Amino acid sequence: MKAEDEAASTRAEVAVAAMAPNTEAVLAARGLEWRAGGRSVLGPLDLDVMRGECLAVVGPNGAGKTTLLRLLTGLLPPAAGEVFYGGRPLASFSRRDLARRIAYVPQIRPAHVPLNVDEVVLLGRYPYLSRFHLAPRAADFAAIEQALDLVGIAELRRRPVDELSGGERQAVFIAAAVAQETELLVLDEPTLHLDPRHQRDLAALLMRLKEEAGRTVVLATHDLNLASLLGDRLLALAAGRVLAVGPPAAILEPGLLGRLFAAGFEIVRGGARPVTVLRLGGGAP
Amino acid sequence: MSRPSPRLVLTLLLAGGILVLVLAPLGGSQRVSLAAALRGEPAAAAILWQLRLPRVLLSLLAGAGLAVSGLGFQTLFRNPLAEPYTLGVASGAALGAVLALRFEATAHLGLPLVAAASFAGALGSTALVVGLALRREGAATSTLLLAGVAVSLSCSAIILFVQYLADSTQTFRMVRWMMGGLAVVGYGEVLWALPWVLGGGIVLLALRWDLNLLLTGEELAAGRGLDLASLRLKVLLAISLMIGALVAVAGPIGFIGLMVPHILRRWVGHDHLYLVPACLLGGGAFLTLCDLAARTLMAPAELPVGVLTALLGGPFFLWLLVLRRSPAGE
Repeated sequence: MKAEDEAASTRAEVAVAAMAPNTEAVLAARGLEWRAGGRSVLGPLDLDVMRGECLAVVGPNGAGKTTLLRLLTGLLPPAAGEVFYGGRPLASFSRRDLARRIAYVPQIRPAHVPLNVDEVVLLGRYPYLSRFHLAPRAADFAAIEQALDLVGIAELRRRPVDELSGGERQAVFIAAAVAQETELLVLDEPTLHLDPRHQRDLAALLMRLKEEAGRTVVLATHDLNLASLLGDRLLALAAGRVLAVGPPAAILEPGLLGRLFAAGFEIVRGGARPVTVLRLGGGAP
Repeated sequence: MSRPSPRLVLTLLLAGGILVLVLAPLGGSQRVSLAAALRGEPAAAAILWQLRLPRVLLSLLAGAGLAVSGLGFQTLFRNPLAEPYTLGVASGAALGAVLALRFEATAHLGLPLVAAASFAGALGSTALVVGLALRREGAATSTLLLAGVAVSLSCSAIILFVQYLADSTQTFRMVRWMMGGLAVVGYGEVLWALPWVLGGGIVLLALRWDLNLLLTGEELAAGRGLDLASLRLKVLLAISLMIGALVAVAGPIGFIGLMVPHILRRWVGHDHLYLVPACLLGGGAFLTLCDLAARTLMAPAELPVGVLTALLGGPFFLWLLVLRRSPAGE
């Protein structure tokens, strides 16, 4: 309700509201909906992303995970409803201002990126760069160094991105998003096409970003164990609808997963977070 | 894979450009001695200052503009085969210019009318090709080139029709002009082309971050705050005006925009901060050398420079098409 009031209020009032200490939600969606071909494919749904948390969106192919992320990052204007950043509607931000607050690492990228690692990471500074400066400024270089160190790819800096492995390449794009110095980091399928070792490295990296760098993270993934490990909360998305939201232990249980994916799962509990094992063979439960 | 420093390459290109600027005016169907011209011998001075130097300056500008236009198109559409010639922009400008030549009352080339018509042609064909290509998803390599070919062929057909309707003197002028040439007397054309090429170069240089960012993909670029529609508009407008201005004075000269950026990317990398000035310098020097060859190979006769660049560029295009993997098609 608070968000809806703010939507109607003037810009100045919004700025005051955004500074109010009770805005725990970094990102809030209200009545968010996306339509294609005249019918609703996502939502309407309400969603809050809390400051400092990691929200993992899980769901089957075609559930609308990527569409949800694109709506939340402002890349896609909603068909209905609105998304608020710090209480202010996304539509009221300039693209540049928004890019200083939300960094997005899309799943689909060109297969061929003819740049070196440091050149790609520098482009994370795009929302801060000026056409009138011939070279980036000291703050930009500092952010690049910090991002390279945090992600652990400082030694790759002069390498052409095209020569890197899939895991290293993913790390480069995440480093660029880190250099963007946003509060919110949104990742679409960050572990796609990565072998187990690189999946583990990537999970460790995202953990560092959350714990050490204090970023709020939203990610969409098919990897339930990654979601379990990183997610403070999981959002189960099925056919554009929120099936359930809650801590990993609440979402990762056979009944809910069976309904979500139409496949059988076994859950191994005992550790800090539940581990999910897909039951191969046999039909749907 | 180590590349030389981009600054070193730029310095070398600048030195090469200056060398070409000084030496190219001296060569041609008739040798001219710089000393004689400086002493003020009327024949030598007239050839050097009124014919050769303006011609070299114009070819430097035209080469610079054509090369940097090709670069802009290639980055904007992530397509190594895109350039003013293959996308039909040059043909559109040529159609405008030929129509102006046909309906012009006076016999001499009236630059303002031809220029206005060729601007209109360049802008119209760009809008048509890009509009057609963008109707399909994300300007795919094949759609863009096919739209370019279709517009090119249509323009050529209309040009042939206009030539058929024209009288023989007009037809000869049109045909000769269509081959592309840089023969000028005095500095009128040079001064005319200068602001457009300079302006286009400055626009592309100012957009260097945006163009670099586009290399990492449209979705990622949009997430960083890039306004793709506005970038497209700025780049296409700058290029169309540049091509319109150049075609009005030099005719359609093809393939410079294909060959020069491709070669220079291998030397300076893909950062547009270096690529834009490199293409301006390298394109100018390259076209001037082509023109020098066109003036001397068959001396005292002269080969139209557009014929020469097409003879070089055609096989280069085929080589790119067949042997090089295309980034967009991977």
